[in-house]
Amino acid sequence: MLELRSISKRFPGVQALNAVSLSFAPGEIHALVGENGAGKSTLIKIITGVHQPDSGQIFLGDEPVRFRSNGESLARGIGIVNQEIQVVPEASVAENIMLDKLASFSRAGIINWKRLKEKAREAMDRVGLEVDPGEPIGGLSAAQKQQVQIARALSAQARILLLDEPTSSITEHEAERLFVILRELRERGVAIIFVSHKFDEVYAISDRVSVLRDGEHIATRELDGLERNELIEMMIGRQAVADHFSAPDLGQRQEVLRVENLYAPQRADSVSFSLCEGEILGLYGLVGAGRSEVARLLVGVDRAESGSVYIRGQEANIDSMATSLYQYGMGYVSENRKEEGLFLEATIKTNIGLTIWQRIAHRFSRCISSDKERKVAEEMVETLDIRATGVDQVVEDLSGGNQQKVSIAKWLAAGCDILIIDEPTVGVDVGAKAHIHRLIWDLATKENRSILLISSDMPELIRLAQRILIFKDKRIVHEIEDPRRLSYDEVSRQIGRHLN
Amino acid sequence: MSVLRRLATDRDAGIIVSALLLVLVFSLSSEGFFSAYNLFNVSRTIAFSALVALSQAVVLVVGGMNLSVGAIGGLATITTGYCIQVLGWPGWLAATAALAVGAAAGLLNGLIITRLNINSFITTLATLFVFTGLVNGFSEGYAYTDIPREFTFLGRQKLFGFSNLFWVLALVLALVYYGFQHTVLGRRLLATGGNLQAAQMSGIDTKRMILYSHLLSGVLAALAAVLWVSRMGSAQPATGKDWLITSFSVAIVGGTGLAGGSISALGILMGAIIIVLIKNGLVMLEANVYYEQAFLGSIILLAVVVSRLREIYSARLKK
Repeated sequence: MLELRSISKRFPGVQALNAVSLSFAPGEIHALVGENGAGKSTLIKIITGVHQPDSGQIFLGDEPVRFRSNGESLARGIGIVNQEIQVVPEASVAENIMLDKLASFSRAGIINWKRLKEKAREAMDRVGLEVDPGEPIGGLSAAQKQQVQIARALSAQARILLLDEPTSSITEHEAERLFVILRELRERGVAIIFVSHKFDEVYAISDRVSVLRDGEHIATRELDGLERNELIEMMIGRQAVADHFSAPDLGQRQEVLRVENLYAPQRADSVSFSLCEGEILGLYGLVGAGRSEVARLLVGVDRAESGSVYIRGQEANIDSMATSLYQYGMGYVSENRKEEGLFLEATIKTNIGLTIWQRIAHRFSRCISSDKERKVAEEMVETLDIRATGVDQVVEDLSGGNQQKVSIAKWLAAGCDILIIDEPTVGVDVGAKAHIHRLIWDLATKENRSILLISSDMPELIRLAQRILIFKDKRIVHEIEDPRRLSYDEVSRQIGRHLN
Repeated sequence: MSVLRRLATDRDAGIIVSALLLVLVFSLSSEGFFSAYNLFNVSRTIAFSALVALSQAVVLVVGGMNLSVGAIGGLATITTGYCIQVLGWPGWLAATAALAVGAAAGLLNGLIITRLNINSFITTLATLFVFTGLVNGFSEGYAYTDIPREFTFLGRQKLFGFSNLFWVLALVLALVYYGFQHTVLGRRLLATGGNLQAAQMSGIDTKRMILYSHLLSGVLAALAAVLWVSRMGSAQPATGKDWLITSFSVAIVGGTGLAGGSISALGILMGAIIIVLIKNGLVMLEANVYYEQAFLGSIILLAVVVSRLREIYSARLKK
């Protein structure tokens, strides 16, 4: 019914999709899995007309189609239920369902509310949503709002329904209900494309699964008879594990960071671990498992409800990024490089200088010496091998890998010796990835900095980390000591066992 | 070609050339333009407009706005008048009191915005009315006219042909230029407006930056008011009613980014020259002065459109 033929899409600095061919059949629930940055969301955006492919074709039946906007794909019967539930909160349920078709319920611009509510009611019945169509949608639960989204797609005669992590904001019980609805739709011949990070769900509801990794289509398999470990292996890949860096001897190193029973609702559930000088500690888990959440609690961007953090033996009370940076020398390289990590329109000098202004400013006048700032930035550009025309180049014009280096440089310039690095190689090319791995490795082994490395890229963690903590549902469920000593299969077997 | 390209992409270059063109047009079309009196008069209007614009620009820099600049000006005006005429304070003390009132008003705006998490538009819209009401109630509409000669020294005397006001402005502009380029506070204000989230994640206390910007805005508005009293020789409670459009038009024409993160001291000076000369030109052309606001509003729109076009052009050059 819907077929993608050799779809490719490139964004500056990264090949998001590389000749991906997939087909989706009516009356089938087709799961789409892959790690962060594997290309799932790009694929969805291409199917729904938000992005246009650089090459390749989309076929609807036998007819090649081109969608230039979300509206165009919806008009051809492709509906989407988003991760962030998108509704107009002040408007009624009926209005939200019929939002794109208000004109067809009106004469001379005046809306016939009665007819609109009747039609909305029909769509609501199909998904079992039992509320008054005239009620404002703001008062509905997340699960009900999701049903509104599905009803909206159905009332647009959608024959293909995309669900992007539909269960991330609803309870388990509500998810069960959603699955009942999806199975009913399958019976009626709707093609359902289901993106999820949760294997239980994938197994519970899907007929077939397609795996994406680094923008490539790895495989499409029937779920019947597919072992979970095999699926996880396809997802995390087994390449690039061969070239280990030579392992450092940590021996009896001093502990620099200890976390005890860190707790915050929805963020961390009695998380405890410690980090040594010169160590790279890997944090693995699926999206939403609690790794970045713990990082944000540690640097004081979010506040923990209970638990203690000790830095170099002293109990630390970190209430803001400033405290973390200036008092404890702990920096956080955000996974959202463009939103949180960088000032895209500013120069390399400003982006690196940001954290040192305080230190290099004159004691009384608080004036910043331009020369000092330039010197520090130039040193960083040289040591991290940032490819740029100079420190006055605007960061926006750099490649993804070099941008990432700038966002790491900011903390190095400030002299941070504890670094939390979150998904450092998402959105960067393979070559730049190797550079960043080398950099992280050198920071730990040569400069003795302590690094918490958050990554969804298993080969990356095996390559770099001395220990790996596995997160699931905001808790640490397993610890793998010295993953390098184990075979790759053994590591992915252990992970598979604990993520199930 | 490269000159044209520079004009099209470099913000300051475009404004400077426009301002110089206007000066040229005026000096050619009007014999009296470079006369001593006109130079003095125009320079003090420019100085005053630029100060009012600065009080807006320092808030625009962090991505906010201050609709109450004029009302704060009004508060500072009657404070000056009251302290001199009723309390009999010396001029410098009255001026200090006025600046303190401006600082307090700006601080109030900033506290509401940062502590209660209310956006700057609504907050300053509300305080605009609160402050205006206080001015009207306190003064009951009467002006303080008993301002001594010493106090008008700044507003009515000149040095090297330019009004003293102009030299005050030059000093303030130099401080603004240097402050935003080279001090921790200035760079952090710019960073806050440039990308709030990234600033926060880099250890900058962004709420404090927003608070400071409003405090600074209040002080600058009060300074403009004190200078206005000095120029007029009386403290009129109606002072500030027409500041809003001046503050936005000069700041925007002067290249202050509405989304925050950029400010140019030179640009503000040029913006003030452009706006003041256009206003003068309208008078010379015997245009109906009642239409003046329509012209200024159109200029704001024009400036925003031009800066948008420049963005699109620059983006296209990169490809």
